[in-house]
Amino acid sequence: MKLSFLLALPTTLLTLLTPTLASPEYNEHLHLIPLSNEYLYAGFNFTSTTSQSAYRANNYRYFPRSLGQILQYSRASELHLRFALGRWDEETWGARPRHGRREGGTGVELWAWIDAEGGTEAVEERWSALVNSLSGLFCASLNFIDGTKTIRPVLSFDSEGTSRSTAGSKQLLLHGTLANEVVCTENLTPFLKLLPCKGKAGISSLLDGHKVFDANWQTMSIDVRPICPASDAECMIEVQQTADVVLDLERSMRPRDDPIPRPQPIAEIECDEGKHYHGGDTCYPKRKQGAKRWSLSKVFGSPVIGSCHLSERNDGEAEEKWDISLEVPSEHIVEASAMQDSLTSDDQIRLYRLSESRTQRSDLSLPHQYESGSRLRPQPALYATRQITGHGQERGGMHAVLRNPHPYAQQIIYLETLPWFLRPYMHTLKVNHRFNSTEDKSARPVDVFLEKIFYTPAIDRSRATKVEVMFTIPPESTVELTYDFEKAVLRYTEYPPDANRGFDIAAAVIRVLGSIKGLGREGDSYIRTTSLLLPLPTPDFSMPYNVIILTSTVIALGFGSIFNLLVRRFVLVEEIPKGPLAGLVARVKVGLGKLRGGKGEWAEGAGGAGGAGGAGGAGSANRAHEDAAADGEARRAGQTGVNGRVGEGKDGLTNVERKDR
Amino acid sequence: MEHPVSNDVKRAEAPAPPAQSPQVTWTRRWIIMSFWAIIVCFGLPHWLLTTSTYRATLPLDSMDWWAQGDQVCAVDEAGWLPQHSENEKAFRYASTYHLTFSLFTPAAMPADWSIEEALNQYVRPLTTALSNVSDFTIETQVQLHASFSPSIAGPQFDAATRDWILQKSDLRGFINAAEWPLSPSIGAGPTMNFVLYVPALEQTPLVIAETGRSTSWMILQWGGVAILNQVGEPSPKLTMADMEPVMLTFAEQLATLLGLPSDAGSFDNRVLHLKQTRAVSLIKSASSTLGALSRLTLKLKAIAIPDTVAAAVDKTLSSLEQACNALQLGKWDTALHHARTGNDAIETAFFEPSMVGQVYFPDEHKVAVYVPLLGPMAVPLIMTGLKEFRSWRQARKAKAD
Repeated sequence: MKLSFLLALPTTLLTLLTPTLASPEYNEHLHLIPLSNEYLYAGFNFTSTTSQSAYRANNYRYFPRSLGQILQYSRASELHLRFALGRWDEETWGARPRHGRREGGTGVELWAWIDAEGGTEAVEERWSALVNSLSGLFCASLNFIDGTKTIRPVLSFDSEGTSRSTAGSKQLLLHGTLANEVVCTENLTPFLKLLPCKGKAGISSLLDGHKVFDANWQTMSIDVRPICPASDAECMIEVQQTADVVLDLERSMRPRDDPIPRPQPIAEIECDEGKHYHGGDTCYPKRKQGAKRWSLSKVFGSPVIGSCHLSERNDGEAEEKWDISLEVPSEHIVEASAMQDSLTSDDQIRLYRLSESRTQRSDLSLPHQYESGSRLRPQPALYATRQITGHGQERGGMHAVLRNPHPYAQQIIYLETLPWFLRPYMHTLKVNHRFNSTEDKSARPVDVFLEKIFYTPAIDRSRATKVEVMFTIPPESTVELTYDFEKAVLRYTEYPPDANRGFDIAAAVIRVLGSIKGLGREGDSYIRTTSLLLPLPTPDFSMPYNVIILTSTVIALGFGSIFNLLVRRFVLVEEIPKGPLAGLVARVKVGLGKLRGGKGEWAEGAGGAGGAGGAGGAGSANRAHEDAAADGEARRAGQTGVNGRVGEGKDGLTNVERKDR
Repeated sequence: MEHPVSNDVKRAEAPAPPAQSPQVTWTRRWIIMSFWAIIVCFGLPHWLLTTSTYRATLPLDSMDWWAQGDQVCAVDEAGWLPQHSENEKAFRYASTYHLTFSLFTPAAMPADWSIEEALNQYVRPLTTALSNVSDFTIETQVQLHASFSPSIAGPQFDAATRDWILQKSDLRGFINAAEWPLSPSIGAGPTMNFVLYVPALEQTPLVIAETGRSTSWMILQWGGVAILNQVGEPSPKLTMADMEPVMLTFAEQLATLLGLPSDAGSFDNRVLHLKQTRAVSLIKSASSTLGALSRLTLKLKAIAIPDTVAAAVDKTLSSLEQACNALQLGKWDTALHHARTGNDAIETAFFEPSMVGQVYFPDEHKVAVYVPLLGPMAVPLIMTGLKEFRSWRQARKAKAD
């Protein structure tokens, strides 16, 4: 429970401290936990506060001006912005940091409480102003969060701030997701610029895009909330920025100038000499025991530069100030350079304070430990997965599996934002459960009672579907939530350039109510499933041009026939006046006949008739001649050819209509 | 009309096709003519209608007349206009200006300043006096760990004077645009930046070369910069006394950036002159935008001109008229108001987004898509038309002979 207390510390601590804070404050710290032996969790936390009067007067100190003016312009009183990448592996890494309260679904997630004055339209305008300005500030495509990606959740989120409600002021919660946004370095740079020390001093100097975005799991969050103490003291505005990463120790410690994984030199490999085939030329590498060796400077590419201690030191608080906390078993050796260290009362967590110097480089290094570094991590409140089922381009199904590993029932709220082109059939919504211990898989699952459902149907091209369901998962059981859906067919121009990749469906947000006893609302935890890819039927994008060309050709063909029938004059073949080409054609044919020597006589006769019929006759005669030549009876065959042509001519003639009459 | 059919006949001279009755010939000609009539009277207009963009008619003549020059409003001839023209550092006139005061330091100190009191004493009196000319919003910020841009050489130590010297060529790149958060404020209107730079202790005092230890300068239509060299130990908070010289500099820079004349006597007189010059410059600016719009519509035949643009042009023309009248009557506030309305309207119209969309859809493109239809239809139509025309001319000639 010590751990969970520490992870929740930033919020709880500040809530306790704020009433006593008169001047703007800033603090930052980094929490490190080696997860199993391969991974390191690093949670950065930066909090700054400002008094409401300074905020209103636009006098910014540690609170970032760029963010402050956006919030005031869009009249947002509370803001939560998330950038996330990768997947938290619950099976091996255990419960999520900060109870999942500071992470988002893959891509970008944003929710904010906006002044409701002026009605829905005014709120939508403010929301649009908010997403557009944040889009510019964070270099992200947040401006694509329009009506089709925005919902208004009822149960899933509670305001984290405390504000003195003035009469008549109402706040509206809006929530938007952008699952297809790829979070990258260009989002980290503006994130760092919001900090007073800008990544140049203190723990933020560790945040380097190359390492952070090479992580297995990474999330950045920005949370702004008002805090009003119960007394008559002045309200404060707090901005909390967090960056959580899970780094693969081996991968992140590769030297930057040689990032390609290569086999270790044979001299450095420790061989297992116990194997019977071990010899001078064979080596069976020994499995490494215990925890890996690592240091901050190797994992993050550079040591911590200086410190970012900005707050005026009050003697009473000074001893609580620490920059880095490390959670390793007490018997582990930790070498700290240029840092003051201390232990928490139960020896489980080591605390480090950076030196005040601006340029001092500080580092933490852990040599290879023979005991395993991993302690039993706390179990997550729930295990949640979600998949798309079914096949074909028309229909599909959603299938979410929520497993409660605990011996007590848990009440949860399940929230989904679905794009309008995924049309759920709500009558097929089924939630049922089965106990984890049930051996007989054929046993009928039991229906779960749905306590509350909030459902907003989609409107094509203008509103997303919202499904919010509240129910209780019985102890040690697995709940399956399923429904069927239909896939809409998009318009030609609505497909993105990579249409065949599929369309991203935002993660489902699961709020587990009060799983930690005694903490009330603060004890809620959040779990997000992975986002999904929905394949939609995609057309052939050259289709419009093909259609235009084909239709045009058909119309032109029809037009040509009708037009010719109407204006052409029909005469006998013989009556066709000889054009200037006819003489030339006849001469060429004579020439051809001469080239063929004595056998050309009949060919010339055939060619003499002129016109199209003549050419066809010559062709058939030639074919006949070639066949006959093989038999050595050229002459006879030639006659047959000529006769055949004349016969054709006769037939052709009788068929000619005499239109002139 | 009997023709014996045999090879012999074919070899002989081909017989001429039978003569056609004039009635048949004329039926054919009527058919061809009706096809052409449909194409010309229906097809062509339909094609033009469906592929053309809407262009509202603009009063191009009056637009050009306004754009022709200064004599239009008969303003410059009047002797009452102050002779000094506007300085080029000044911002263009706007109804709202955002002022941002920033404290930058490469160190972690000073992290606080008594800016609210300083603003009340040095800046707010000025903005209040000008409140009927423009609105002002004020923001302040503190930025620590601000480093110079790598593109400038940076300050050099002068052993003789024990000063750190900033070369004049470095002033241009002094503001590290890539890293310093000086983004413009949200909302309409330009942002004026006032940067107070406190150098690190090891680079104090920092002065500009060749200016006699000057520590402030202005950046064209952007704002002003002032360096504050702290004496002695750096304090965590700048007091009013520390900031007094800098704030006086900022107030002076603000007046210059707003275009307030410096040599026009009393403050009220200066404000009056500011209004005059602003009104005239707005009329000039609106007139030149009118001219630009007129030239644009003539040059780009394919762009659409929505009705809103035409309405804005009309509004501008009438506003300019009223502004000119007011100027001649000496009603500065009214003149300024009308000039502002006119200029805002024409600026919005000039940047109307729907005017730009059509530029990249040229006529060749439209025709190219329909070539499979137009080509096969045009060839028989033109060929038969020509043939029939030729035969008709021959027949007439024969008749005449």
